[in-house]
Parts: sequence; structure tokens; C-alpha cells
Amino acid sequence: MKKGFLGTLVYHLCRLLAGGVFFFAGAVKGADVGAFAGEIANYRMLPYFFNYLAAAVLPMVELMAGTLLLFNRRVRAAALVVGGLNLVFIVALVSALLRGLDIGCGCFGPGDGGSSSLVEALLRDLGLMAAIFLIWRLRGDNPLSQ
Amino acid sequence: MSPGPSFSSRFLFADFVHLFLEALAICLVGAFFGVLLHHPLLWKVVSGQSFSQAVLPMEERHPGEVFLVPVAVEEVGAMAARGAVLVDARPRELYREEHIRGAVSLPLAKAGEEVAAFRKRFPVTVPVIVYCSGYGCRDSHELGARLIAAGYGEVLVYEGGFPEWRDQGLPLGRGDGP
Repeated sequence: MKKGFLGTLVYHLCRLLAGGVFFFAGAVKGADVGAFAGEIANYRMLPYFFNYLAAAVLPMVELMAGTLLLFNRRVRAAALVVGGLNLVFIVALVSALLRGLDIGCGCFGPGDGGSSSLVEALLRDLGLMAAIFLIWRLRGDNPLSQ
Repeated sequence: MSPGPSFSSRFLFADFVHLFLEALAICLVGAFFGVLLHHPLLWKVVSGQSFSQAVLPMEERHPGEVFLVPVAVEEVGAMAARGAVLVDARPRELYREEHIRGAVSLPLAKAGEEVAAFRKRFPVTVPVIVYCSGYGCRDSHELGARLIAAGYGEVLVYEGGFPEWRDQGLPLGRGDGP
């Protein structure tokens, strides 16, 4: 896909946005893994131990993928990872909304909002998904370039 | 003669595999460092140990700080049978859905309004065990500190909380009552 100046600008803006958001989210969650595990447990989707395993692993994966996006390296692979994570977050948020759970999102660590923030978080994640799609589409002339 | 897959389709497939492997590598490296960094926490969860370091030696305590004694899942049932009050610090909606059988609801968010009524119902001499959504959940610690400030002398925290209790198949209650 050929991209002109506008395409290049949009690509870099989306890359920096998605990279920045995931880097920040990973850093905040990774700072207090125990509390983040409590946030995951509130969604009641995972068995007990796996809340803690996810809380230990997710921030590091987010940090790595976010860093690669920010530094414009391995962008398609990083976009694939953050896209997959984002999809999981969207499924978790929709599931929490459908079950009427009165919980905080936990998207940026513990205590980042009340029950209304689930809808906001869902809208934010859908926006991020659009940005990730644009990164994928606008990365180089060869649609499969790294 | 069958033409077989074209060069471009083989190239595309190989590229997709390469991309997938790169994404997998990012996840695996992240998972490795995540587990490596937090293996003490994960081990404590697996082995059911307390990790709040709630009880510090006297010389390490700071004036005014409140230290809550952690209680393990095995002791919770026995203490409740001896008359201790189990207090659920989670939001009331979560309590209504499921809670530890016998527990009373006192959400941290409503503690300011409801501690007085709780105090009328349960004398301050009764041991209180507070829990919330498991290890790392701080609501039980904060509520415990408020109960101590309200005059309760023996306040303990069940850190495994509702998720550990439920996953061990222990008795649960539903609805507004204990």
C-alpha cells in the first residue's frame, strides 16, 4: 500500500499513541502486581492462581510491545501482540458489562475508575484497535513487511 | 502437471509464520521476565503464604501505623465457629452474588456511613476477620484499619479472600443475608 505524507503521519501518530498507551499501562500495572491481580480477580474470569500469573506476565508483555512500537522496531509483530491483548481486554470488558459487574476497569492499574469507566474503557480500547489496524495497514509498501 | 502453490503464496505463508513467531517471541520473553521478576509473589500465592508482611518487629513499626494480622484459610472457619465475625469489604453487589457463608457485608466505600451500625450490631470485643478480592486487594486492610479506629481490638485480614475460599470449594452464601 502506497502511503503519502498523510499516510506516514497517521502511521507514526498511531504507532506512538498505541506504543505510549501500552508502555504506560504496563509500567503502572507492573509497579503493583498484587493490586493488579485483585483488579483481574474482580472480573471473575480466571481461576485463582491465574489472576496472579496474568498480573505478573501482562505488564511485561505490554512494556515490550509498547517499547517496540515507540522505537519503530518489529512494528507488525508488536502490533499483532497489542492487537491480541486489546481483543482480550475488549472481551473482558464486554463480559463484565453484560454481567453488570460494578468494578473498576483496572486498565491502568488499581483504582483507575468506578463502574462507569468500563464503558469509557471499552470505547478507548475500540479506538486503540482502530489505531492498531492503521499501523498494520500503513506499515511499509509490502503489507507483510516487518 | 499441477502448478502447485505460487512463489508469492509460499512467500506470504512463510512471512506470516515469521511474523507469528516474532509475536510469540515477544509474549514469551515478556512472560519469562514477568515470572522471573514476580516469582516470590507467585510462589506465595501457590503455597498459600501471607505476603503482606503485616506483622513487623516492634522496632520497625512507625508511630500511628496500623498493622493487621493475616489469617490463613484454615483458621478462618475455625475462628468463625468460635464467634469471630467475617466481614466482606467488597462492593455490595459482589457480596449479593456470592460471599463466604456467614460473612456480613461492609463495603469499604460505605464504611463511613455503616461502621456505626456495624458497631451497634457487633460489640468491639468480638474478633473480626476482614476479606475482599484476594491477595493484593487492599480494601480489607483499609476497612480493618477503620474498624480498629472504631474501637475493635482484634481485627485480622484473610488475604486469600473470596477467590481463594471459592476455589477451595468452601461454603458460599448468596443474597443480602450472611
